[in-house]
Parts: sequence; structure tokens; C-alpha cells
Amino acid sequence: MTELFTWIFATLFVLVIIAWYLSYTAARLDRLHVRLGGTLAALDARLVRRAEAAVELANSGLLDGATALLLATAAGESLESPSEHGEAREQAESDLTEALELALTPAVVDALRETPPGQDLVDKVTSACTRVQLARRFHNDAVTDVRRVRHKWTIRMFHLAGHTPLPSTVEFDDEMPSPLAT
Amino acid sequence: MRIGIACPYSFDVPGGVQFHVRDLAEHFIGDGHDVSVLAPADSETELPPYVTSAGRATAVRYNGSVARLNFGPVTAAKVGRWLEHGDFDVLHLHEPMTPSVSVLALMAAEGPIVATFHTSMLRSRTMQTAYPLLRPSLEKIAGRIAVSEDARRTVTTHVGGDAVVIPNGVYVDRFAQAPRRAEWIGRPSAPTIAFLGRMGEPRKGLPVLAAALPAVLREVPGLRVLVAGPGDPEEITEGWPPEVAAACEFLGGVSDADKASLLASVDVYVAPNTGGESFGIILIEAMSAGACVLASDLPAFSRVLDGGSAGAMFANEQPDDLARTLVSLLRDPQHRGELASAGQERARIFDWSVVADKIMAVYETVIEGRAASQWEPERRWGRFLPGRTSR
Repeated sequence: MTELFTWIFATLFVLVIIAWYLSYTAARLDRLHVRLGGTLAALDARLVRRAEAAVELANSGLLDGATALLLATAAGESLESPSEHGEAREQAESDLTEALELALTPAVVDALRETPPGQDLVDKVTSACTRVQLARRFHNDAVTDVRRVRHKWTIRMFHLAGHTPLPSTVEFDDEMPSPLAT
Repeated sequence: MRIGIACPYSFDVPGGVQFHVRDLAEHFIGDGHDVSVLAPADSETELPPYVTSAGRATAVRYNGSVARLNFGPVTAAKVGRWLEHGDFDVLHLHEPMTPSVSVLALMAAEGPIVATFHTSMLRSRTMQTAYPLLRPSLEKIAGRIAVSEDARRTVTTHVGGDAVVIPNGVYVDRFAQAPRRAEWIGRPSAPTIAFLGRMGEPRKGLPVLAAALPAVLREVPGLRVLVAGPGDPEEITEGWPPEVAAACEFLGGVSDADKASLLASVDVYVAPNTGGESFGIILIEAMSAGACVLASDLPAFSRVLDGGSAGAMFANEQPDDLARTLVSLLRDPQHRGELASAGQERARIFDWSVVADKIMAVYETVIEGRAASQWEPERRWGRFLPGRTSR
């Protein structure tokens, strides 16, 4: 009789440990997913701000007409592309990066820095670009963490991730226009 | 902004991470932020008002060197109270893999967390065994900073993911305005060079310099070598040729002000470090003070010196090359002057005002991500995780 109880308790104990481990893993994954949602939202906000800074620069009248048009078009594409991060969005962001690089040649940046409003715009674009880089890196770090944890067999076997799609890293060119980089 | 900074190493002894934490905290306080630093410290040690002591540190051998760390249940409770009381907008942990207050804070905290990795020398065995324990906690870090490319490589290979490189900062002006001290200024017949760092630690490179000195003294007999840093001169000079020991003047440990004056006064600052330097803040300090720098060609040093345009370099651990380069520098005041002014110019990009702005951008990005996600530990699976809810 005592032996039977021992076995029952042992089994219960093991079951409790397994249950704790599963809920712990689920919580860990949930926390990661929340972090991922946050980093993506932050990246989105930073991208919008960068595009706005580009629009402001284009409309400032401090650039020549053709460059301003080029920059405004690229920024408009970025602002209008769907907020979900897909290939179209990544392409639009890469294009905006390229437009900024083309518009902000060393000579243009030097000229802009000579006037206070121009200096202001340069600072705004620099800061926006830095923050896009940071936000993208932090988001991709979160993606890497999520993907690694979701590879664990417990998570796959017990379907702990639910129906959340497996995230993928956001890839686009976010280089700072070279005259702005320190 | 309410900023909580955790430093794993004791404030009783000077060290790169401690100085980094102190300078960063002071810069943010100067900008009007609310900063609290948690670090181990003895009760006798006088602490700046913004530092909270996590208790007495214990000297432990960890990752190949002796570190003064703080751990145990009492410390854990203290860390918990600090977090609760601080109610920080962002928590900035330094060296989150070192078993001290940073790790405890990481385990206990929920909220926007930024971590800075300083070391480039984590041993893979330490990492492999410590890893499973730390991994779930490390996943809480929303923004990773590495102080150098080498430190970043440690993060990418051992931790996974990536890190933003934001170098250490230096208060360039403090060094640039340092007064020169007459007794340390070299004369054409008796030029002065300086070495800084713990004498007994071979990787700081004093033995390399000592091995180069006989050849240098043959060419420049009046040379004075000013050695500043903790250590016992008698023990160090044992076995050195008498003329080398005679050329050296041991200043012992020097204050920050004296260090700046020393660097501003000497003809050449020599950094013969043989390895283990992830950054080389001392090089930037020397450049800020207007010293002509001669350093070993470690990758970290080469990056600071911009490949040799802001200071001279010699082949690492090659006393012959060091001697040759040093002699030619000592004989060419004009070249020294050029290197010194190029160095002072370059040091500006490492100034705290530049560096702290970048760190602030990281804080803001992380906080923004947190605000967008609104994680609610009480209601979701979160109650199964250890850690308190700070916000």
C-alpha cells in the first residue's frame, strides 16, 4: 500500500515539475513576443520620423528643386507603404536611404550647416537615421532571440507558440548618409 | 528621465568599468536626469551621492582575473529594494554576465533594460557552463551596447544577436586643460616618456618597455621614464639592467589630476600593452591631454589611433621595434607635434557629450518599444516568471 502511495506521489511530483516547466517556458516565450511587438512598433515609429525629417528637408527650399523632388518622392513612398513590414516596405526604406545619400553630398551638407535652419535639418536627419539603425538592430536582436527559443523541442511539441507566425528579421539598407557619419 | 545603472565591480578599487559608470552617471546628472548607481563598495569607501552600495565586495577569481564582486541572498534582496525604490524608466546594466549586482538586477527586473558589454575576453568554457542559467534573463535585454568591436564580437559569438558599438567616453576638456608640471617636462637632452598602469600585470606591457630601454638609452642617454601606477618598484626592477632601473622614476598610483598633468607634460606616452584591451581609454586620455602617443598595434589601439595617423604604433611584443620607433620619435619634435595635434583633434569624437547622446538614443528607443508593447506580467503567463514588475 505504502509503495503505491510512493509511486503516486512520485508521479504527481514529476507531473507538477513538467507543468511548471511548460508554463515557465510559455511565459518566457510570451515575454519575448511582447518585446518583439514593442521593438517592431518602435522601428515603425522611427521610420515614420525619418521619412518626416526627409520631407521637411525636401520642403525647406534649401535643396535644389530636382534633389528635393527625388527626396520627397522617396519619403512619400516610405510614408505610404503599408505599415506591415514586408518586402515592399523594406524596398521603400532602402530607397529612402539611397535618396538621402544622393541628396546629402558633402558639399550640400556643408552648405546646409552654414545657416541655422539648415543645421537644424541636418541634425534632425542625423538623429532620425541613428535611431532607425538602433531600432532595427534591437528589433532584429529580438527576432533572433524569438527564433532561437521557438526552435526548442518543448515549444514545438506542445505548440506553446500558438498561432503566432515565426518572425523574420527586417532587412533594408539603413546606412547613414556618409557626410553625416562621425 | 529616471535612470538606474548597475555596476558589477566594486567602487573600492579603480577600474575601467567603474570609471565609465561614474562618468556616464555624472554626465546624465549634469543634463538634469535622475540617476542612481548600484555597485558593491565597502562601508568605509567614500561614495558619490548618487551611488548606492550593494554591500561589501568579495575578491573572486572569475574569467581569468581577480574581480571584486558582490553576490548572495542579502545582495539579491538589496538589489530588489533598489529596483523597487528607484522605479526607473530605464535600467542600464554593465557587464550583465558577471556574477555580481548586474546579473541580480537583470534577473529581478522587468522593464526597459539596456546592457553594456565591456569585456572582449570571455572564455568560451565560462560561457558554455554559465549560459543555460543566464539565457532566459538575457532575453530581457532590449538594447545591447558593446564598447568596442572586440566586445561586440564577443556578444555575436557567445550571446547571439548583435550589439550597437558605442565606445567609452572621455572628458576631453578635463585632460586638454590639465596644467603641465615642470618636473615632468622633457628637455632636449633629457626627454621624458610615461608609462601608466599596474606594473605587476604583464599584459600592461611594462616588461616589453623594459626590454626596449637598453637600446633606447644607448641612443638617448638622458631619457627619463616616468612610471605611474600601483606596484612595488623593487620587485618589478629585479633583474633589470642597472642603467634601465636608474632611468625609471616610479610615481606610484597617481590621482586623476596628476595623471592628466603627467600626460600633458611628457614628450611621448608609451602604451606597450600586449593584449586584453578591448578599447584603450588611456590612449584617448593621452591624446586629449596633447601627448604624442606610441602604442602597440593591437586592433583596439589601431582603431583609436585611426590606423596610425593620430599616434605612432609599433609591432606588439617586439621590443626592437618599440626601441626603433621611440628613438625616431624622440629625435623628431616636429613629427611628435603633428601626431599630438592630430590625436587631440581625433579625441573629440570620443568625448562624453558625443557618447552620452548615443546612449540616450538607445534609452529612448528601448523605452519607446516598451511603451508600445505594454507587457502585463500580472495577467498573462508572466506570473510564472521570476522578477518584479517595475512598470
